[in-house]
Amino acid sequence: MSVGKGSKSMPTTVERPKPFLLPQFCKGCGRCIESCAKHCIEPGTEVHPETGLIPVVFDLENCTACGLCMSACPEPYGLAPQPESTFELEDPATLFGPRPIPPEKPETIPDTRVPLGSARPLVVKGTYASAIGALLAGCRHFFGYPITPSTEGAELMAQLLPRLDGAFVQAVSEVATVNMMYGCGGAGLRAMTFTSSPGFSLMLEGISYMVGAEVPGVFVNVMRGGPGLGNIAPEQADIKLACRGLGHGNTHGIVLTPSTPQEMLDLTMLAFDLSFRYRNPVVVLCDGYLGQMTGKVTLPERMVAPGLPDWAVWGDRAHRRNLIVSIQLSEPDLEKHNEYLERKYAEMTANEQRADLFRCDDADVLVVACNTPARMAKGAVETLRGEGIKAGLFRPLTLWPFPVNQIEDLLPGAKRLVVVEASSGGQLEDELRLSLSKAGLAHPPIEHVRHSGGILPQAAEIVERVTASRAMRREKGVPA
Amino acid sequence: MSVFYDRFERHDHAEGLKGQSTHYCPGCGHGLVHKYIADAIEELGVQDRTIAISPVGCSVFLYYYLDVGNSQAAHGRAPAVALGHKLANPESIVLSYQGDGDLASIGLAEIMSVAQLGVPITVVFINNAVYGMTGGQMAPTTLMGQKTTTSPYGRTRFTGAPMKVAELMAALDGPVYVERVALFDAKRRVKAAKAIKKGLRLQVESKGFSLIEVLAECPTHLKMTPLEAEKWVKEQMLPVFPLGVKKDAVPDESWPLPPPPSFVPESVTEVIGATGEGAERFCDGFPQTPYGKDIAIKLAGAGGDGAQTAALLLTRAAINEGFDSTHIPSYGPESRGGTSYADVRIAEDEVLSPAAPEPHVLVAFNAPSLAKFGPHVVEGGVVVYDSSVIAEVPPLPSGVRAIPVPLAQIAVDLGKVIVKNVVALGALQEATQLFPKETLLGAIRQALSQKCALIPMNEEAFGWGVKYAATAGEGDS
Repeated sequence: MSVGKGSKSMPTTVERPKPFLLPQFCKGCGRCIESCAKHCIEPGTEVHPETGLIPVVFDLENCTACGLCMSACPEPYGLAPQPESTFELEDPATLFGPRPIPPEKPETIPDTRVPLGSARPLVVKGTYASAIGALLAGCRHFFGYPITPSTEGAELMAQLLPRLDGAFVQAVSEVATVNMMYGCGGAGLRAMTFTSSPGFSLMLEGISYMVGAEVPGVFVNVMRGGPGLGNIAPEQADIKLACRGLGHGNTHGIVLTPSTPQEMLDLTMLAFDLSFRYRNPVVVLCDGYLGQMTGKVTLPERMVAPGLPDWAVWGDRAHRRNLIVSIQLSEPDLEKHNEYLERKYAEMTANEQRADLFRCDDADVLVVACNTPARMAKGAVETLRGEGIKAGLFRPLTLWPFPVNQIEDLLPGAKRLVVVEASSGGQLEDELRLSLSKAGLAHPPIEHVRHSGGILPQAAEIVERVTASRAMRREKGVPA
Repeated sequence: MSVFYDRFERHDHAEGLKGQSTHYCPGCGHGLVHKYIADAIEELGVQDRTIAISPVGCSVFLYYYLDVGNSQAAHGRAPAVALGHKLANPESIVLSYQGDGDLASIGLAEIMSVAQLGVPITVVFINNAVYGMTGGQMAPTTLMGQKTTTSPYGRTRFTGAPMKVAELMAALDGPVYVERVALFDAKRRVKAAKAIKKGLRLQVESKGFSLIEVLAECPTHLKMTPLEAEKWVKEQMLPVFPLGVKKDAVPDESWPLPPPPSFVPESVTEVIGATGEGAERFCDGFPQTPYGKDIAIKLAGAGGDGAQTAALLLTRAAINEGFDSTHIPSYGPESRGGTSYADVRIAEDEVLSPAAPEPHVLVAFNAPSLAKFGPHVVEGGVVVYDSSVIAEVPPLPSGVRAIPVPLAQIAVDLGKVIVKNVVALGALQEATQLFPKETLLGAIRQALSQKCALIPMNEEAFGWGVKYAATAGEGDS
């Protein structure tokens, strides 16, 4: 007796086994009843004690073993071909043919850092620097939707990725974009996008799924004026979204804030690193000015050739048992998962606070700013120092976690904090205040220089704010 | 059957009977389709390579059952997630499993665009004319007159007509195979299993995108017995959703699977333009100008004047000389309609503020730009303006030198109006003595390294700018 290829789907009459029912897996739907030409199956009458359902009843006397009942049964372990020899009622799975060998446990293939060789510095705009940073970080998959003022980054990727056998996809929307990143990141690879504020809003749903399912990915948000369509000029009014509103649910992600094209490259590279280290999306927040700004960019000594993490849903034997998922139907399971995520956030908070300090050591007046406004603030600090005022610039490089550890030591010496930002409501200031409050730190009065709508605070305004306030204090007899 | 897990550990931790029974209601079509998928994967021998994308809907828990790589997507986004997986590993066999709410309502944009892309992905679309998981609401495929919890008086024209997904998909260029099948009798079930297998096989053979629409029963929300539901699909759904192959355009050639990405450092540096020698330096130190160690330059004109390109050349030149420099297209609160402004800063060590609201040097390509920015030039600054289009110079701050150069006219005479920005650079060079001449010429040559034929004309344009500015300077003093 020969069993030819394809015999599984179309066995010859002689070989056909008759059906065998495991009543505890029968839901009594009766699809098999209708499928049997010989009327061997009838609706049952007795409730199964374990399921509370009424399984069908078989009388196989007239059964021709046509098999149609088995292919009519919606349950994987409902109707099985009857085994040839006697058997014991053991694991039903064994009744359903040979089992595949379970895959071996996958091992993480580590990233390698390859020397870049001689490379001269580039003169590029911020979005380009970020795109190049992504390439150097081992990203070969870009998904995005054009939106000013971020689009040049995507355009450069469209130009360069095909030359490195990478993939560039212009998605149908930002919603599709983030979900393509979810797929690519879930496969264990480095995916990124460039977007701007309205597009970032659309991506937040997907980012929440990524956080829940622990999928890495890098989002460069070149912030523009809002709310609504707003305009395409620079603003910093997505800080609240990135730091406090990263989609629904118990989410957080590291938020990096570059100030120069060089930092656009450096922090994008860092973003990939952190994203994979914590299996969590990372946001690079910059403003429209910085995205468009051209400057000098020195390349790092090494680039990343990425490996493959053990958790990846890659599509091979080793990774077959992996799962990327954010649904946790059971309440205790979800709470446990959230507690796990919170521990991860705590770890990020402990390890990833970053800030750049400029003339802060003896500062009476601590100016707090990030992105392009930090450059204006730096100019103002220089001017103020020239006027004999002890000013310093505290520039967060991470907004979440806010670098409260770095500012803590400066607080006792500071008589005033001046937050400089391009958001009308003071979103950076909110982050500062919340972090200080959570850390239980006493702080001097907080003042601010704010603009929005696409207008950035200028150095002269910051100087004026600081000096006017000093004059005012002197008038009131308060020590400056 | 081996493509099902031995035990459904993810199904409530396989408690009680859950380890080997599905979460589906009696008579539900999902279980059947799962079985046909499992059989097809097994017969095609691609279990290890397969990645199943679970949707949102009753089949959100597809990953409980199929022993393949699993990824669970947001509502409607399964095709996008599938594409991400397929592009990450083109060798993987990616199955997007979706219901009618997921695919034909919230996920329309994703399915349409990914289908049109045509990348080999297999979509199995379950159409049971009702929302299952949320409890029997109207679906985009709900029949006219059909009562659901959100069409309690029956679907009317005010709630649209049933969406025919298979026909829609077949109308797109991307898919190679689209078929609608059903589950209500043995004959249809055989066809359904065959269609699903074909859809997957076409992906294994890398032929292209396929979609199989399955008319399925949802006895619970139809408030019928499973057998009544089968009858309902046959009698009510079939006339609206005719079965059959809607598109079968399988090409001879395979979809070209992309090669693995390159991580060769030499390729990367070449692609990003970081190879080659650094530019030659001509400066002995930071430019000795009256403007200090942080020079602000503004170039202003209309789109097409080349203000941005000229600004970029200045920045590049300064960086070539080892200084810090920035360029930004300047955004003011004003409308950008047709205008193009560029701010350049050049600093010995570090540019602080990259904006140039009060420039040391202004290049104005038209009258409105001169009128707008001329009054803000700092005392002792320089204004170069296009005297071929600007007849009258507005009052400028004291000590500001205004240098008329017929930028456009010179460029037109050279045969290419677009080089007027290079004429402007020549004039700026002569008027400010910012760098040695070779610095800017070097930056121009560097920028044109891929278009060498244009270098002579640009050098000539630069030369004319220098010459005119020199003459204008004489006339001034």
